[in-house]
Amino acid sequence: MHEVGIASGILDAVRTETAVYQSANAHQPARAVKVGVRIGAMAGIDPESLAFCFEALVKGTDLEPLELAIEPGRADELEFAYLELEQP
Amino acid sequence: MTRVPMEGKVLNENERAAAGLREEFARHGVFAVNLIGSPGSGKTALLERTLESYDPSRRVAVLTGDIQTDADAARLQRYGFPVRQITTAGACHLDARMVRRALEGWDLASIDQLFIENVGNQVCPTSYDLGEAHKIVLLSVTEGEEKPLKYPGIFFKSALMAMTKIDLLPYVPFRPELAEANARSIHPDIEIVRLSSTTKVGLDGWLQWIDARAAAGVHA
Repeated sequence: MHEVGIASGILDAVRTETAVYQSANAHQPARAVKVGVRIGAMAGIDPESLAFCFEALVKGTDLEPLELAIEPGRADELEFAYLELEQP
Repeated sequence: MTRVPMEGKVLNENERAAAGLREEFARHGVFAVNLIGSPGSGKTALLERTLESYDPSRRVAVLTGDIQTDADAARLQRYGFPVRQITTAGACHLDARMVRRALEGWDLASIDQLFIENVGNQVCPTSYDLGEAHKIVLLSVTEGEEKPLKYPGIFFKSALMAMTKIDLLPYVPFRPELAEANARSIHPDIEIVRLSSTTKVGLDGWLQWIDARAAAGVHA
């Protein structure tokens, strides 16, 4: 049930990270296409539910069609791994 | 396409708020524990027996979280210690900012021990650090021995498992040894107490655990 909050946190971070990337690269436009997160089996997160919430939150926003890639993490890890951006 | 490494915890904002709380608790010598368990696992009942057993001079306070109603705060206020209800209005867990807000106006320097009763839920509260010294998971004997395997996160993160309602053991097909073995298969170092808030059997073990950990310091 808390996966909506987690998904929303990921989107906030993607926006921040994209802005950081742009300002570090002479303000060239860039759009986030894929975000990778690591989730451990003890993190208390259901990856399927998170993917579902993520898709629902992205739909209809400027971030669409942002993709979420979930990688297995250690123990209770719930961390970002990477962000993929493309220059339009 | 460019791939840039991204660091940090997904719940970064909560982590920051929790770190702030932990620092404040340490500064004021507040020993805080976060009680987590399913709805009906006996969190409020255990706190009732706990507060009832305490001397009125004890500097203890309680935050109790629920999605709706202040029924739990009403139950806990009878014992004369400061109690506040956190109503999450839908959220299935407490987060560090809710705790921060609920503490406003309380002088932490006058509190030695803080019980935070989370929203009844064995899953979602697991992910949210509240700045506590320890998470404590409650497992009642009416829930089934396999719960630690089904919901490993909270057993992995808890220092203590309180097996509650053991007065019901003669009436339910629950094998306490199996439940304990399951919890230890997830978290070998987890400590375990068995108790009944109805008959008060085993309550001493619980109270001693809290006292020992509180004495060991808020950083334990």
